[in-house]
Amino acid sequence: MTGFLQATVYGLLQGGLLALVAVGFSLVWGVMNVVNLSHGAFVVLGAYVGWQLNTSLGLDPFLGMVIVALVLFCIGYAVQRFLINLVVNGPIFITLLLTFGLELLLVQGMNIVFTANYQSIPTSYAGNAIVLGGIQVPLGRLLAFLLAVGITVLLVKVMANTRIGMSIMATGMDRGAARLMGIRARHVYALTFGIATALAGMAGTMVGTVGTFNPAAAGGFTLLSFVIAVLGGLGNMYGAMVGGLLMGLVQAWGGYYLSGTWVNALAFLVLVIVLMFRPSGLVGKAFYAARVEV
Amino acid sequence: MKTSRILATATIAAVSVALTGCGSKGEAGGDAGASSGTLTIGASISLTGKTAREGVLTQEGYQLCQEKVNAKGGVKVGDKMLKLDIKYQDDTSKPDTAASLVDQFNDQGIKLILGSYGSANTEAQAAVIERNNQVMVDSSGADNNIFAKGYKRTFGVLSPATEYAASIVKAVAELASPKPTSVVVLSADDGFSKRAADGAAKAAKDLGFTVLETQYFPNGATDVSASLNKVKASNPDVIIGSVHLAEGVAIIKQAKELGVVPKVFGETVAPPTPDFVTTLGKDAEGVLGSSQWTKSAAGSDDYFGTAKQYDADIQAKFKHEAGYHNAEASAACLAFVLAIQKAGSTDANKVRDALAALDAPSFFAQLKFDAVGMNSTKPMSVIQIQGGKQVTVWPKASAEAALIWPGTTK
Repeated sequence: MTGFLQATVYGLLQGGLLALVAVGFSLVWGVMNVVNLSHGAFVVLGAYVGWQLNTSLGLDPFLGMVIVALVLFCIGYAVQRFLINLVVNGPIFITLLLTFGLELLLVQGMNIVFTANYQSIPTSYAGNAIVLGGIQVPLGRLLAFLLAVGITVLLVKVMANTRIGMSIMATGMDRGAARLMGIRARHVYALTFGIATALAGMAGTMVGTVGTFNPAAAGGFTLLSFVIAVLGGLGNMYGAMVGGLLMGLVQAWGGYYLSGTWVNALAFLVLVIVLMFRPSGLVGKAFYAARVEV
Repeated sequence: MKTSRILATATIAAVSVALTGCGSKGEAGGDAGASSGTLTIGASISLTGKTAREGVLTQEGYQLCQEKVNAKGGVKVGDKMLKLDIKYQDDTSKPDTAASLVDQFNDQGIKLILGSYGSANTEAQAAVIERNNQVMVDSSGADNNIFAKGYKRTFGVLSPATEYAASIVKAVAELASPKPTSVVVLSADDGFSKRAADGAAKAAKDLGFTVLETQYFPNGATDVSASLNKVKASNPDVIIGSVHLAEGVAIIKQAKELGVVPKVFGETVAPPTPDFVTTLGKDAEGVLGSSQWTKSAAGSDDYFGTAKQYDADIQAKFKHEAGYHNAEASAACLAFVLAIQKAGSTDANKVRDALAALDAPSFFAQLKFDAVGMNSTKPMSVIQIQGGKQVTVWPKASAEAALIWPGTTK
């Protein structure tokens, strides 16, 4: 029983981290209808910025991630405004190609600048654990989980209660109508992409604190984000959180009760089953899933 | 608009034609570059992708070899001295790319090939090498499977996979006091790691340990918590990781998070890689690792001198300690050079025969291949991270320090 509880707790914490990785991807897909294949590269870039702040200035990663978010926001805003915006009206294959190319550029750039060495952001506390009734709760992962939940709730509030949030949602629903209402779609898109890359950067810093990273990890994060976004569903800010938590739990339970080599197959099996019964994802809205234009 | 589209199509067509031309099959001979005073050897290297770190270390080993050989005037082929020129291509850590690059080298008339990083890439390359009548010296593909297919043109300078984790078990059995009783192997699910895991489990059983069921996780996994969680209740004395760097680091990090504390951790590829200590810091202390080569290895040769000199040369050129990934790559290159000189020719068939008959000392180990192409007599070493440094603790004959036991603290 302790083993099951331990697997469950660890799975939930891991799920929170995965949700934080995927939330930006889901946001961009939901609002802009762009499947951003460079998302994983921004996660790794965030990890490197956090690592650089830690090694050069000694900044704790949980403090440093505020600067990481700012830096990544600026990069994301500029990338959308001056690059992706050029093809945002094009068929999905064009945006896929462009973001794939961007991913290659970023990964190769990081390979050149930071080398392929594995890195980790060291802290004195992240690897320690609180013991609750015989269950180990790792501190670093707990903080990352709380942060993920906090950010998701904040995102929901911002989207529902602020002018900028409503502009983003409105543009996502109907860009033409939003423009007629005086919303500058280009700015809103860039803002959305900036928020997504900022969140990716924060997730990257977390990943770097509790684990290791190098540029080659980017592709894995993109794939994971894709699965989580589809699993949770688009058009609902809680989608990534629900998808991430389910993914974390499936992997933890699957690894505990079956062979550890089954975890990936199991995660995709769950995705297929969910899509059979809920084609729009667990909490997604059908409108967003049906928009993909080829 | 129309004009630009036509222009773009024309450009794509032109580039495609140019690329097709480059890729066309040729019937070039086996001594590419020999007439121009250079000896060209092809090397597909994992410079990007999941094993880029190990790939770069392998390339460093090849680069140092080229420098050392050329500093001595080059490779003596008959009465000519040819400058060694190793051509690199990035295989992005993917076996199919590594195999197709070998094909590309063949198209360019390059018949002599230095292996990529890792067993998966090397295994894919070996099949192509055989088909094209090329010759490959494998620097890092240790999976016994590579040599179990009857190939005649691939030679591995390193000890086979089955010895990797088994050597850690043997070291613990010989050196640890009080002797631990139970062993569990956590393994990645790629061919090399599985073979190493089987070797460790067999060695542990033979040495009288209680061996728990081996736990597997996907190759390249950064989350191995499920496997650790499974073995936690059994409280094993020794946890052996049959892993690469990413999984090896994850085992140590997540074991700490989950409160899994054996008497020692031992891992195959990860601890001798420089990044192991830099990413784990003090958590790396006490971890055992198996190494194809250490700075205290016996033997020497005319190009690299002793193992200690080799380490000094790597430090001077690349600003880090020499790891076994460096050394095995340099040794593979050295084996080629010695065989070519012995053959007195760059012809692939003659070089192949010379490699099969090679029996030469080196800074790495005796370079001698058995009937299937493995350097099966070469011993493995076991290192322990002590004070942030890799220290050889086994075999006793080449030990730099005593084993610190237990290797973990509660």
